[in-house]
Amino acid sequence: MDLKVMWATMKKEFQIRLRAYPIDFMVGCILTSFYTTLGAYLMYHYFFRQNLASDFADLTGTSDYMSYAIVGSLLYLFVVRTCLNVSRRLITELREGTLESLMLAPFKRTSYFVGNMLLQTVMTFLETAIATVIGLFFGLRIHDFCLWKFVIATILSLYGFFGLSLILGCVMIYARDTYISQNTLFAAIFLVCGITFPKEYLPYSLQFLGNIIPVTDGLTLMRAAILGGMPSDRFCIIALRFFVLGSVYVISGLPLMKRLEIIALEKMEG
Amino acid sequence: MKYFIKVVLAESYKQHRNYFNNKMIYVSLFLWPLLSFLASYYSYKAFDLEESAISYINSGNILVFLLIGYMAMSFFRSVVQSAWRFSSERQSGTLEYIYLSPASRLAVLMGNALSSVFESSVVMLVFGILMIFYNRESLHANVVGLVVVMPIYVIMALLWGVFINACFLYSRDTDFLFTILEEPMEIFSGVKVPVMIFPGWAKLLSCIFPLTYALEALRQVTLNNSDLGTIKITVLISILIIVVLLAATLITIHIVEKHVRKTGNIILF
Repeated sequence: MDLKVMWATMKKEFQIRLRAYPIDFMVGCILTSFYTTLGAYLMYHYFFRQNLASDFADLTGTSDYMSYAIVGSLLYLFVVRTCLNVSRRLITELREGTLESLMLAPFKRTSYFVGNMLLQTVMTFLETAIATVIGLFFGLRIHDFCLWKFVIATILSLYGFFGLSLILGCVMIYARDTYISQNTLFAAIFLVCGITFPKEYLPYSLQFLGNIIPVTDGLTLMRAAILGGMPSDRFCIIALRFFVLGSVYVISGLPLMKRLEIIALEKMEG
Repeated sequence: MKYFIKVVLAESYKQHRNYFNNKMIYVSLFLWPLLSFLASYYSYKAFDLEESAISYINSGNILVFLLIGYMAMSFFRSVVQSAWRFSSERQSGTLEYIYLSPASRLAVLMGNALSSVFESSVVMLVFGILMIFYNRESLHANVVGLVVVMPIYVIMALLWGVFINACFLYSRDTDFLFTILEEPMEIFSGVKVPVMIFPGWAKLLSCIFPLTYALEALRQVTLNNSDLGTIKITVLISILIIVVLLAATLITIHIVEKHVRKTGNIILF
């Protein structure tokens, strides 16, 4: 990994963000998280008057539905933002007309993407912090915070999301479309990854789909770190599984992206 | 009148040619609402459905309850999407040509809304009807009520589309309409959670969405066997909304016309 390229990418990206794009995009993402939380709040407190299904606590290890759903919506915000940024990066360069000059420069792709990812992580932490404060008003409570679990969950989630972003980026470059591919993926993640309800309620085929998207396990780990209810050995097993899954995405994503770069350059004019 | 209808049909045909040449459009029109509907349906499984705050909703008819919500929403949502696409016509300059022609402005807007309301929601509609037919034993419908209520809501969705299209004629920067019309409409008009159980402030917000009344009446006649007497207030409000939307559209068209004459340019201002 070339740190110089990584820093340069971060600096460049930050300046683009500051100068070219208004903040309303960020507001939009916080609002999405807000509406998800509000929907869960209305369902839990008003529609069902806090009557949960009998198997909810067994499946999730917690009986606090609001915290469960809010942690889900916060992580969903994180996924959406990182995927949007990292996977759209090359196609945005193509649209902005800077892809050609970028490709002329001798840079390491890994550093470039990691730089993008890191900058986005820092930016998203700010948004997530705002969304968390909103979540506190709606009943987000930290039950059993465990620092080492939280650190592992955060690092592994970033790793998994990075892998997912690379694969999504490949699809985008190949199909030359961002609108359909990104929104379909986000809608699917919202359904199968257990954002507001435990994925065990889904039919088996959808559960399987959830298991191979590197968001589900990250969410399970994050909830275990914040809400508790999971023994440490089980946590480690899921962490290991998540790491392997994330690695599959990263290891297949980076070379694939390199292949698709060539196609992107070939098709650039038409 | 004959001329008016001709313009409506021509515009809807144009929109059809414009947007339905690519099959990918069905992903956004059908797959997304379907995924969103499934997510809502499964999120209900986390709750004890027999303990809901509304007497006529139970584990048997929750699927139909949500389906009606998502079907009706797909009608109202498709017009927002069509309006967004209509704004690109303004930027690419075709709107200027339409304004140069003697075509009635209202007819153009109506043609646009007509094509999007019917074409965009048809897949979701067919899917919904099949699912409801499959779960027909959970229905408790009042047929007379349904026959009266259906056309009112189709007209309402249509005029809602015409009105939003007219708003897009006035201003170039209408992205904010998406922010306030997409997700808030899903939450506040009661697609997922019935409006009846909302706290006061949320009820107040739900009043501004025509979809709220459409859903309330549709669910009452299909799930609670309500006759027209029970839902007459909702129906009267809906008819009032139709009149207000039509008037607001005509006023907006007039203002736009004046604005355009003043600036002399649709593409830039």
